[in-house]
Amino acid sequence: MTELYPFTPSGPSRRSTLRAAGGGTLLLGLGLAGCRSAVSEASSEPQGASAAPKRGGVLNIAVNSDFTPALLFSQSGQSLQHRLIYNTLTRYDDRLSPKPELARSWTYAKDGRSITLRLRDDVTFHSGRRFTADDVIFAVKNLQNPVRAAQLRATAATVTGFEKRGDHELVLKLTHPVNNLFDLFEFMIIADSETVEDAVTGKKLIGTGPFRLTKWSPGSGLSLTRNDAYWQAGRPYLDGVELRVIPQADALISSLRSGQSQLSFNVPGKSLGVVKSDPHLTISDYDTGGGAVYLGVNTTVAPLNDRTVRQALAWAVDRDRLLAQTLGGYGLASAAPWPKSSPAFTEAHRTHYSHDPAKARELLKSAGHSKLELPLLHLALPGDTAIAESLQYDLKQVGVHVTLQPTDLATGQKKLISQDMPALWTMGHGFAQVQPSTLAVSAYPFNEAKNTSKYRSAAYTKVVREAWTKPESGTAEANAQHEKISSILLDEAFLIDLVVRGQVQVAADGLHGVTLNKFSYLNLDNAYLV
Amino acid sequence: MTSTTDLLAAGPPPAASKARGRVRGRHPYRSALSTARARTGLVLVGAVVLAGLLAPLLAGHGPTDQSGQSLAALGTPGHPLGTDDLGRDLLSRVLYGIRADLGIIAIAVPLGAVLGCLFALVAAAHPVADTVVQRVFDLLLAFPGLILALAVTAILGPGRVPVVLVIALAEIPAFGRLLRGGILVQREREYVTAARVGGSSGRRVLVRHILPNAADPLIVQIAVSLTVAVFIEGAMSFLGVGVRPPEPTLGAVLSQSMPYLAQAPNFAAGPLVTVTALVLGLSLIAEALNREIRR
Repeated sequence: MTELYPFTPSGPSRRSTLRAAGGGTLLLGLGLAGCRSAVSEASSEPQGASAAPKRGGVLNIAVNSDFTPALLFSQSGQSLQHRLIYNTLTRYDDRLSPKPELARSWTYAKDGRSITLRLRDDVTFHSGRRFTADDVIFAVKNLQNPVRAAQLRATAATVTGFEKRGDHELVLKLTHPVNNLFDLFEFMIIADSETVEDAVTGKKLIGTGPFRLTKWSPGSGLSLTRNDAYWQAGRPYLDGVELRVIPQADALISSLRSGQSQLSFNVPGKSLGVVKSDPHLTISDYDTGGGAVYLGVNTTVAPLNDRTVRQALAWAVDRDRLLAQTLGGYGLASAAPWPKSSPAFTEAHRTHYSHDPAKARELLKSAGHSKLELPLLHLALPGDTAIAESLQYDLKQVGVHVTLQPTDLATGQKKLISQDMPALWTMGHGFAQVQPSTLAVSAYPFNEAKNTSKYRSAAYTKVVREAWTKPESGTAEANAQHEKISSILLDEAFLIDLVVRGQVQVAADGLHGVTLNKFSYLNLDNAYLV
Repeated sequence: MTSTTDLLAAGPPPAASKARGRVRGRHPYRSALSTARARTGLVLVGAVVLAGLLAPLLAGHGPTDQSGQSLAALGTPGHPLGTDDLGRDLLSRVLYGIRADLGIIAIAVPLGAVLGCLFALVAAAHPVADTVVQRVFDLLLAFPGLILALAVTAILGPGRVPVVLVIALAEIPAFGRLLRGGILVQREREYVTAARVGGSSGRRVLVRHILPNAADPLIVQIAVSLTVAVFIEGAMSFLGVGVRPPEPTLGAVLSQSMPYLAQAPNFAAGPLVTVTALVLGLSLIAEALNREIRR
């Protein structure tokens, strides 16, 4: 069993980190070393396999769903290829400290209302065109376009002015300071402006990344080949990458066990037991918190408009049992959305609600209810159905009788975005793995201005706005803001977090150097096959 | 295994068959059911049905009661068949799953049979109606069972009613075409002409003379349809469009066991053995009846 979440959330303030980075002391190689790696990689690395990286080979990755070109600029279920074809301006290390990528260095203005980016001048797109500041301007404006449905559009929208200082220096001017600008830089892929409309239909994906798109076969997967003109000398090691769509979990596992695929992030938690017994496969956990499981509550449906009833539901759920029985034990039972690497994480918040059916019954009684009947929507997938059944049983023990409403993924997502959920639903959410304010301004279930629970509160909006517009993080003031957000989320319980889950990687023991960014973009710059 | 096609090819039973049975003093079906093949089938089906009926007495736990004891092995104290991923007792889930399956097919198959026979009677009444009914049957037969299931659940959502509806819809053409064929053959027979000459009304001739002679293959078809119904329910639950969880059905339990085939094979064993016994038993009975009719 691999170790879960060993990192502590403490770290230097972002301002000091930015200054250090702005001084240009961070070399690219160091940046790569700081790139997000599997939490347990050290422990899962096979003995004697630390030989020098080897050039060549094609990596086959098994994915359970196909790439959706229309969602290229938003976070979707399958974003592995983003960092293979494209680059981002910066990337976070394990402590949310930004490291250079296409931006060599940067300087924040003292008032937090502008940032000067110094860009790499040795980068070309796959088409041969040189990368310049105009491409960054395009990338920001592209995310501001509502058609792109980018979750970080609110942050992109704060950039209202662009000042070019030559081809490779750019000043971004903000309407107000925000503390999640580097979330945007981690999230925002730099796409070729001349072919972007072809990109969102899947015809041409042209970026500056380590691999070029050879072919996209809808329903089958993507074929990528090495970008020989990649700006990082000698990288990538691999000749190519194949992303093969294998929707059935059993077939996907068989593909890994037979050696047809060497990497996957889509083995269901319930099936990891089978993988564990295979000596040629290793399991690693990423502390990206990209898939927290939650119970959503529609606060406009009586009696869920009563906070006491919502809190009763939060006390009724046995999170530890849910984690063990439906997710194979991979994750962290938590009442709050934050993974351990988040600045907002505290043990007190994580354990704010424990499994206490007696207390749940008492709260329901105090609210005047002894028996409730409510619908619960869930995705009609095996793992999601098991989670829904587990919740149904726990809620039944306190007198809340739940009727399950299975639905397909597309309908579920549509209902989530259009705020058309029934009384209860269960799904997964991301965005808690970056700056805490990003969760509350960008994720559909938490968005202070418009969330799926239809929860409105001036206090929530005020706290979120304050947290979002304070440029410092890691300070006592920032921590106090995070505390306030967590308190509102826990007390109001319009969204009841259950398990914080990272990405679980299953890899062949001959594969090394695989990393993910905070938004689950796969980085294979340093990956090689032995 | 007996198929609907075999039965259609066999055509209606010769009048002599019944006469032979009466001469011997035994009803032909009773004779068919006394064969070793049929007896084996009856024992298998009887055992499964009995287990389902006695589920509240035999099951030591509620079928939806969860516990922290996940994937317990075969023979675990208190859980003879073990437990599933959510710690539910597998014996209880299989027993109550039998009840759920029997409840569904006991409604769905007769419903399909009645509707199919009504269509056949309408078809027999007038050539135009016959053409319309035949096209309706063609339409229903054009949809493979699972496509029909997915279409119905896309409209109605998953649940018990859509499963019953899908099974009934799938069975309508089988019963309808079988009875229509029987009626067409019988009404050309001399005894029908004699009845008409004797002054019987068309309705009386159909109900009193033709139907009893054309209906024999329907008995066999019921046994076949029960087998098909078990498969349809199982397939729908397996695909997640059957009865809503957490209610157990044999197909649903089997579907839930799939990720654990290597880890906990006992998870799949219970529903697998039960479905096999039920389908095998019904097939043997259908085969025995069919052989008797074709003699």
